[in-house]
Amino acid sequence: MTSSDNSSAPSFYAISSSARQLFLLLRCISFAPKAQVQITKEGIRLSAEDSRVMQGLAFLDKSLFSTYNYIPPRKSSHQATNDAGDDLESDDDELDLPPFQISLPALLETLQIFGFSETKDRWSSRDSPYAGGMNGAFPRAGSAAAFDTRVLGMTGVCRLSYSGIGEPLCIILEESGVTTTCKLVTYSPEAPEEIPLRRDRLAQKIIMRSSWLHDAINELSSTSPTRLTITASPTAPYFMLSSSGPLGSATVEFSKDPKLLETFQVNRRSVNTYKYSLIRATTKAMAIASKVSIRCDEQGVLSLQFMIEVEGGGVSFVDFRFVPFLPEEADEEAPDDEGGEESEEYDEDE
Amino acid sequence: MRFKASIHNLIKLTRFVASLSSLGKVAWVRLNDEEVRFTVIPEQGTQVWAVLSIDSIFETYSIQSASPNNTINLEVPLQPLQKALRSAISAVSTNIRLTKKNGIPLLSLTIVTTSYSGNPAGNFNTLPLPTQSQANPTSDAAGNTSAPNVGGEQDFGLAPGDPYREREITIMQDVPVRVLSAATVQGLHEPRCREPDVHILLPPLLQLKSISDHFTRLSSATMKSSVLNGGASTASAMQTSGPGPKLELSANMHGCLRLSISTDALSISSVWRDLANPDLDPSQYEGGEEGLRQHPTARMRMMGGDSEESWAKVRIDGKDWSRVLSVGRMGGRVIACFCHNHALILYVYLPNEDDLAEESVLTYYISSYSV
Repeated sequence: MTSSDNSSAPSFYAISSSARQLFLLLRCISFAPKAQVQITKEGIRLSAEDSRVMQGLAFLDKSLFSTYNYIPPRKSSHQATNDAGDDLESDDDELDLPPFQISLPALLETLQIFGFSETKDRWSSRDSPYAGGMNGAFPRAGSAAAFDTRVLGMTGVCRLSYSGIGEPLCIILEESGVTTTCKLVTYSPEAPEEIPLRRDRLAQKIIMRSSWLHDAINELSSTSPTRLTITASPTAPYFMLSSSGPLGSATVEFSKDPKLLETFQVNRRSVNTYKYSLIRATTKAMAIASKVSIRCDEQGVLSLQFMIEVEGGGVSFVDFRFVPFLPEEADEEAPDDEGGEESEEYDEDE
Repeated sequence: MRFKASIHNLIKLTRFVASLSSLGKVAWVRLNDEEVRFTVIPEQGTQVWAVLSIDSIFETYSIQSASPNNTINLEVPLQPLQKALRSAISAVSTNIRLTKKNGIPLLSLTIVTTSYSGNPAGNFNTLPLPTQSQANPTSDAAGNTSAPNVGGEQDFGLAPGDPYREREITIMQDVPVRVLSAATVQGLHEPRCREPDVHILLPPLLQLKSISDHFTRLSSATMKSSVLNGGASTASAMQTSGPGPKLELSANMHGCLRLSISTDALSISSVWRDLANPDLDPSQYEGGEEGLRQHPTARMRMMGGDSEESWAKVRIDGKDWSRVLSVGRMGGRVIACFCHNHALILYVYLPNEDDLAEESVLTYYISSYSV
């Protein structure tokens, strides 16, 4: 039935037993109308960006799929399909499949076409001890009942295929007697310029539980701020998030307790300010991730990397990069001396 | 002209009225000796012609008028009727009658509920709705009826006696109606349609609705380029009025139903297989068996399931379709008849508790949009 049947074999073909899992990962970067897709041997990279100051990247590792078949195009470009087994050797001839763009809301809506909320009600993990987190949205491995249709692979089976430039990205979802076929139009890619993070010249690297960052950001949201300033320093206050906006400002301060900040590498004090709404756009990732790595290079480029545990025990990563406001724009605040051992949060109402 | 009945299947009637009121503001209700008919003919969108057997809703039913078959034709505002019925959800008994107050015809509901007066909190539990919303049933249905606004009447007939005993509460709900003359309804005819090309038993309507709604949302989501937050903004897009995106619904005589939509960003289709194509009853057709062999559905059945010609297609409005499918809450079998590029007719057969009673049938006429 699919159009890929009459053309040459698809260059890319993958089956996932859980459309829901792909959905939850991709929803993290749903701040933009389009996503750039790069299919590689290792997995699928989907990235989204906002005004060149924010980038989000979700990587769907091939381990998330039960079948992952990728035949890279050859430099010789005869479009000759490789004979089976021939593609195992990685020649220099191999090229990466060129990236393309697709509509992100369309992709997300397609993946949840059969409605996860419904299956969640029927196969509720409410009684499960793992049902914490975001509405139990990401149950840890083992929380599903033995005869859950998800476990039996009866629901949410999702096939992805792509046959090359100009072809649509094809998604086939099946559930009890209903087959949904979606062809997402692929658009030509935009210049894939990544926001550069100087990994060799990092000013800070902090790893903590994602839910704590989530709590802090939620706390700061109450004053509907416009900017978020991140301060990291080898001396107290070690790590501080402050928001400011027309209604006032607020600060959340973290202590250096290794139980709180799992990793804390800060050589010298750095203060950078970002647009609040952009940071806020990552809350879907914050909510389902287990850990977050907050890195910042000397130029102030911020990287938020979220580690998300997936069903079956593996982990996936969702990355965000942010460009800071220029330093002279950022209002410098005098360092606070009141930094305590515990994380505190107080409002400075003017 | 008299009409009086007690409602014994209130939930069914309430759901029925609710599903109609999503499609139109007023219904033409025809009551007579044999059946109860509700007809909704909105200016745009789907028409509903519903026939309910008297026994499936009413218990004692008495009707009298000068017309043949004791027919009474009424124009009833659906939303006020729905609200009035909702206040009877926990009722012990509900009676409905046609009456007149200050020269205005009314359908008056007398709802008797009980409550334990010893426990004030209990009172609130048994009072079904805040009384304010019931007091004035016509206020929300703006401009749908020519009858002037007559306030409903609340009569808390509290029985005197022991304060800790169960008490009876009587709620009166008046829904102003218009009595239609025979001449007015004479011009209203059920749409006529050519014989369908394909008829098929639909999958559960609520499943179909859920997927259809996703399709509608998908197309609204991809139409608006400025969608930044997938979930939230597309949900609100469903709420806005005006014509929705057009879905393409098609079926063949090989048990397949297909729902699809195409936008700039994607084309998507869902296919159901192994549905039933019910056989036609030869006694209903001219020429019996022989005549049926000439029927369009027989010709469609001859065509292979793979060819595109074997599919009968209609294009329908996504939002209107979603409102039609809300009848799924009532259960029942649904047979869809497809007239290729022309119309879709749904027959909803409502289940009856006792098989002896005649079946109630709701007929939906949905015309196809041109491409």
